[in-house]
Amino acid sequence: MIEASTLPGLGGAADCSNENDSSCSDLSNKSLRIAENAKKKRQAEAPLLSALKYFSQVKTGTPRNGNDELNGYLEQVEREALAQGLSPEAVSIMLEFAMSLRMTSVISARVLRFLIPASVVPQEAVVRGFSWLCMQKLSQPTQVLFLRWVLSMFDMIDSKDNLRAIYGFIFSFVIDETMCPFICHLLYLLTLKEHVKPFRVRKLLDIQGRMGKQPFLMQLLALYKVFCPEMVTLTMPSKMRAGFKNHNSTWKAALAALQKRNISKETHSMELTLGVRQHPHRRKRKFHHLEVPALTPMMESSRSNSRKGVCLQQLSSFAELLDNLNSIELPAQMGSLLSSALALHYLDCVQDESAFLRLNFWLGHALHEEFLFGPVDGSSESMAEAAHFLSMLVSTQHFLQEGFSSTEGFLYKFLTMWDGFLHRPQILELLSDIPLVPSSYIKDVLFEPLMQLYFTSSVFFKCSVIECLTSMLRKWLTWHSVCAQEEGLDISLNNRSTMSLSLSGFLDSVLKLVQFVGRLTSVGLQLERGHTLLLHHALGFYETVSDMFLKYSLPLFVMLPPGVFFPALLATDPVSIDRLGYIMFRYRQNLTSAKEQQKKQRELSLHINRSVYKEFNTYLVAMVAHLWNSKSFSPRTGIEVSEALLERTKVADYSKSFDLIHHPAFLNYAIDFHQQCWPERTDVDLNSIKAGKYWDWYVEFLFTQGFDGLRDFIKVNINQASARQSSGQPLSQPAQPSQPTAVASSSS
Amino acid sequence: MDVRSAVSTPVTQYTHRRSKSYGRNFDATSRFGYTPGQLTITRIQTSRETAKARKLTEKVDPEQLALLVKKEWKLSYVTPLYKFRHTQLKIYSRHLSAFIMAEKQQGMAVEVGLEAGFKVTFSTVLGMAETKDDAETVFIQIHNKPVFASEGDAPKVVWSGWLTCINGDPEYLQALPPEFVSLPLFCSSGAESLTFMVKSWFERTFDCSFGSMGLDPTDLHWLAALWTGCHSDNNIRSLKLAWTLPSQPPLDVSLTVNAQDAWDLWDKVRQQDSTDNSISIEEVKRFITGIESHFFRHFKVYLSAGVLKKVSTALGSVHLDGKIKITCSDYMITVLTLLTECAILRTPILPGLF
Repeated sequence: MIEASTLPGLGGAADCSNENDSSCSDLSNKSLRIAENAKKKRQAEAPLLSALKYFSQVKTGTPRNGNDELNGYLEQVEREALAQGLSPEAVSIMLEFAMSLRMTSVISARVLRFLIPASVVPQEAVVRGFSWLCMQKLSQPTQVLFLRWVLSMFDMIDSKDNLRAIYGFIFSFVIDETMCPFICHLLYLLTLKEHVKPFRVRKLLDIQGRMGKQPFLMQLLALYKVFCPEMVTLTMPSKMRAGFKNHNSTWKAALAALQKRNISKETHSMELTLGVRQHPHRRKRKFHHLEVPALTPMMESSRSNSRKGVCLQQLSSFAELLDNLNSIELPAQMGSLLSSALALHYLDCVQDESAFLRLNFWLGHALHEEFLFGPVDGSSESMAEAAHFLSMLVSTQHFLQEGFSSTEGFLYKFLTMWDGFLHRPQILELLSDIPLVPSSYIKDVLFEPLMQLYFTSSVFFKCSVIECLTSMLRKWLTWHSVCAQEEGLDISLNNRSTMSLSLSGFLDSVLKLVQFVGRLTSVGLQLERGHTLLLHHALGFYETVSDMFLKYSLPLFVMLPPGVFFPALLATDPVSIDRLGYIMFRYRQNLTSAKEQQKKQRELSLHINRSVYKEFNTYLVAMVAHLWNSKSFSPRTGIEVSEALLERTKVADYSKSFDLIHHPAFLNYAIDFHQQCWPERTDVDLNSIKAGKYWDWYVEFLFTQGFDGLRDFIKVNINQASARQSSGQPLSQPAQPSQPTAVASSSS
Repeated sequence: MDVRSAVSTPVTQYTHRRSKSYGRNFDATSRFGYTPGQLTITRIQTSRETAKARKLTEKVDPEQLALLVKKEWKLSYVTPLYKFRHTQLKIYSRHLSAFIMAEKQQGMAVEVGLEAGFKVTFSTVLGMAETKDDAETVFIQIHNKPVFASEGDAPKVVWSGWLTCINGDPEYLQALPPEFVSLPLFCSSGAESLTFMVKSWFERTFDCSFGSMGLDPTDLHWLAALWTGCHSDNNIRSLKLAWTLPSQPPLDVSLTVNAQDAWDLWDKVRQQDSTDNSISIEEVKRFITGIESHFFRHFKVYLSAGVLKKVSTALGSVHLDGKIKITCSDYMITVLTLLTECAILRTPILPGLF
């Protein structure tokens, strides 16, 4: 009793702290209010204590009518219960009082109706409740009321092991027709595998024979089937309502209020319940191959041995999954693992090769039947269903960070007959998940079909293909860098022949992919007349390529093709030039650090082709000549146009026309700068920016406009000190950028 | 050195975890090394053996064989069965019976092993397999006892079907892990609803997938040629062919060729090649072209513009949408070899695994 009195007090303290959360604005008020609340509590406690004492001691047969003491205490407890909920001890006392029928059933029913626990219901109280139920003294409505109460409070019962121990007793009530639905529901919540016994199955079948196909019987039998499929064979009618009815109407409002109060106390555990991915009632199609099968355990006879494991659908949270990780049984159909997030977590840990083969057979079959063999069903429902299936597959593969080999096999076939339009986003996503393709057949299975689609489709399709291939390259490189870390597959450490063989295989494939994208982007840009969007996708690809050595520790250097470099350099938007600057900057960083490594470890065969340095230097010279030195189209800049032709353009000073001032992409910045420098001047003479410190200021001005790539490029490649020396002539100063030549000379 | 080895042990274990690649299971060393070309290999046969009369009755129980012939079978392909065991057919019989009962009485629970209206029997057709890689053929029958049948009435066979693998591609079969049994060809005869139930029971029990198997016109060409080639040993009576031409409305053409004429044509086509035991796809094409041009000479209709839908002889008949009837068991193996091949061709092949 002492405990009973202290606990509500604690509950009250917690409560008042909640109130504080909402009104913590005023600190002085806060302490006052706490004191006031505590005082109120103490006052309320005393009568509640005596009320509980009364109910625990009142004798059977005490008169009810005109019993003011009883009514007073009842009201007291009711008020408390509805306002705060009752402490576990109070729940025990009141439940005992109600079930023992010491006063009439009317009083018992009234008590049950307001029996709202504040935190938990002690399991022992419920067990005692059932022992009273066994006495068969309660009236039928009270029996039902009790069962409804147990069901409604089920989640609050502190533990269920003793309840499970009296499973047999509870089961015995199924023969009572009124109680049966509630008992079935309760058994459904309590059943463990060991509870499923042939005699119980027979009993339920017997009742089903008498009562017909009742949903509650069906549900319980279905659960039994889940545990012991060999004991009961059952097929759900297609339109069965899932779950049991809710019986909590009496306590719903009070429980909701209680939950609201408790919500801040609870720490939210991330729950990954089963079935989150399941689509609600999907229309049944003639072909069911796109349906992800349900999670069902293996048949007893096909289990490998008598080892009893846990089946996945018994688990409902990630914590449970972790606890049972070593005893989980694979389901009868591996495809069913794609049905829930929890199962996917498990799939990530599965080591069994046969299991993956099963999954791949199922998935391959589904994809083949739907997209390769099946009759074309253009109806919007089936299109939506197919898109949904593919999206599910995409998100699954992203979750696992790996593509299924059956998807890969399917894509190779599908690519040859794809129109580039059907489910494009999903197909391209799946395509980017393909693991490294050996270089010997990458052309046949991937490049040829993609190329046909690429050159015959719109610029937007071209962009999405480049994006897809960029993503594919990144995934390959990431895979490689993770592998290199985990396996010590490091270029500097490893010299085992097998590893270097695999590394060269990897390099071959990546090289093929980069070269392929080089062709696609060069020709694509030509076809689309340097379309800006396509150019940006191309530059995005080379941002990854330029950084392969430093970011992914892959000793491979491939320069971007002229077909991408020059359109970017001469582009009309400054962003392209900025990105190009960044790419050139990264190339330089990568090449320099590779060179340093090469120097450090002589014995290493980190071979970088000299032509890479040559190409890099050519580009560098071209970029500096165009942007900095105002020497566009001069010899050795990569684009040499005959003077006669340039004369015919009637551009007066064509060699200046692509420097940072006159470049169409920067012209408006130059004008802006000019206006800020000489606000009073009406005639704009851009050439005056080139004079003296104005050039430096202009370059600084450009950097403040967010051209970070350009800044990196200029800072690294152009000797600013020498620029300052020949301050009057920025055109002539870094005629031969010193660092790039250093790179070139040291390579030879 | 000890320290080094102690360090390297967990590394290799970790490597093992990483190498899991959802079916593309290569460890890091072999990952890039798998044999190229297998992915794109066209597994379509360009030559096969001539159909030789084989007294199957000497190898296979004639009673069982009788169940397989003279019935029209609907063809399906099946992906490999996981943990199927030929030793557990009795248990499978019981489970499938119960499953069908439950399906029939949607929603009513059924106790396994109860005497029910439907009785399923699984049996092995011993001796049908040709190579050591072929799994033994499994035959399934469903009997039904009518509700108002009298005591002595024997249950009626309402459905039958079989799973088989004859001369299956050894490379494919050997690549499968031992837990899998590949019986890629499924033939069924009986009510669609029962076929559906049997298929779904198999799918749930052995984690396999079924797909209906339509044939290719080329497969029909092969069978027409193979059957005609048997005429010298076994009278095929006549070679009946049916085309559908894509005109508006579609034109169905059926042509019956006198058996001897067909054989003469085949023999002419064959004479150009000396090898006796094998037939090449070119010969088959010449044979069909011969028939088609003969038809054109008389009716001025290009049959090659249409699709060959049906072929039938006294030895058996085959329909493009995947129905076959084998009348003479002597040539059964040849036909089943071709069909097994078609079925394996339909199975999703995983790159890197096969």
